Amino acid sequence: MSSREPMWYCHECHAEMRPLMVPDPHCASCNGTFVEKLENPQDDPREFAHAHDGFDDDALPANMEGFLAGLRALLRPQEPEHTGRPTSPHAPQRGPPDGIGRLGSGGGNGLTIQIQGSPDGRSRTMIIGGGGARRDGPGQGNQPPLLSEFLRGPQGRQDGGPGIAGPLMAQYLLTMLSNRPGHGMSDFFPFMGMPEGAESGRWGDYVFNQEALDQIITQIMENSNAGRPVPATEEIMAKLPREVLEEGSPLLEKDCAICKDQFKADAEDEDERIVVTLPCKHPFHEPCIMPWLKSSGTCPVCRYQLVPQPEHGAPGPGPPRESSSGRPTGSSGSPPGVFPAASSSTPSSPTQRPASPGGSSHNRSGSNGGGSSLLSSLFGSFGRGHQRNGSGDSAHGESSNRGSGPRDHVPGGWSDPVD
Amino acid sequence: MAVSTRRLQKELAEIKNQGTPVGIQLLSAENFQEWHLSLEVLGDTVFAGEVFCLRFRFDNQYPISSPAVQFVVDDKWKAPTHPHVYTNGHICASILGNEWSPVLSVISVCVTLQSMLASCKKKELPPGNDRYVRHAPDNPKKTRFEYDDDTV
Repeated sequence: MSSREPMWYCHECHAEMRPLMVPDPHCASCNGTFVEKLENPQDDPREFAHAHDGFDDDALPANMEGFLAGLRALLRPQEPEHTGRPTSPHAPQRGPPDGIGRLGSGGGNGLTIQIQGSPDGRSRTMIIGGGGARRDGPGQGNQPPLLSEFLRGPQGRQDGGPGIAGPLMAQYLLTMLSNRPGHGMSDFFPFMGMPEGAESGRWGDYVFNQEALDQIITQIMENSNAGRPVPATEEIMAKLPREVLEEGSPLLEKDCAICKDQFKADAEDEDERIVVTLPCKHPFHEPCIMPWLKSSGTCPVCRYQLVPQPEHGAPGPGPPRESSSGRPTGSSGSPPGVFPAASSSTPSSPTQRPASPGGSSHNRSGSNGGGSSLLSSLFGSFGRGHQRNGSGDSAHGESSNRGSGPRDHVPGGWSDPVD
Repeated sequence: MAVSTRRLQKELAEIKNQGTPVGIQLLSAENFQEWHLSLEVLGDTVFAGEVFCLRFRFDNQYPISSPAVQFVVDDKWKAPTHPHVYTNGHICASILGNEWSPVLSVISVCVTLQSMLASCKKKELPPGNDRYVRHAPDNPKKTRFEYDDDTV
């Protein structure tokens, strides 16, 4: 890369660097994807960052309700705001006094995020998703709960401060999004890996209505491999003692328990003259036992385990319905509270999440760029809230890694308990 | 000749030669894909006087793969009201799933199910019956049941 190229700025770790460009521009130091090219001196993101170092701290911005109101306005563009807040974010003087972020539907030009960042009142505007033409879905009833309803609960406030807990915020946003008819959602939130079926009440691993839950349960009933017998390995099968039947063998008086035929030294099929004796001393025709061992490494007669088998009848809440919450008998548990649709292998499933939510469609840079990364980053921060310490990863780094793994869940860790 | 055919021929011959256990009758075995047997619980049980029909479906891996076994539910037959039997006839029994063994046979499955019904103290539907029936696959083998209750 030429040294005359402008430096880039990482909004996540505040580093100035030259980003790695593949697959998307991302920060060379923290791998965050919320990066911006420093090409316009009039619009220097560093000012913004210095003025608001607390932006991605654990504490949420004080005026988050304003942000949410804006987001709601965006998602329900044809409905009057019933919080009484202005729907247009283009009037900085009407915004919250110490506004940090406002979202709104910026005319026909996509999502506009206006950030009143600098102490001197200058604002920054980002535009995401230029098309804008698809935001014409009709509004529907089914209002999402107001933020104040969430805040009313005792868990709404964590420490008496004005912020709300991260998981709670996540819950709020999720509920809000789920209540939207679904038009154009994937335009706005490609990073969320929003499946096409969002309007049917499913969103990633999460469901919002009975029908969607039923669908998932059906999938699990049909697809789950958990608890299935473990086959014997090729090595184990190859090492089993084999005996070619001969006249006088004591085996000739016995039956193969699988085919129920007596062992015969003069069997027509030469393979049937070969007897495999399992370590538990039960003998079988080789062609009878081998297919079985390939499906289950146990003795058909006494269930002797040639390879360790999953425990059956492990304590569980009850027959199929409950158990279909898919508690895998193996080692990989699902995160609590997550319906593990993604853990069952359903390649044809319409709800399969697209890979790499961060990998789509936001390759732009500059002052308009990184828009979806911004949102993603915001969601990441909100969702993870107080659980971020320790991992060292940036919130967004986490969310961009989701989506392909078997244990992925909706960005932001909704499964974390509301504390 | 498929493995299943040879084995089923043998089972059929045995049924015809030695008969079936009390309360179990072969209704039809016209091919080696699907058999029907009737099942009756004798003695003083909650199912006294009721007769049920079991449908066995075999693939050509039988007996390596388990048969698909369910109670017939139609104009003539209905499923027993039992905590392990769904109203669509699907049966939650470990020997039909994870614990199937090729040593088992059509008759041994019938005897096991007969005993499962006989030990039932109270006619109850399985929990979640409606939900299961609404979405159950046609073939009960596609359902992964969790077997957690040995008492009924």
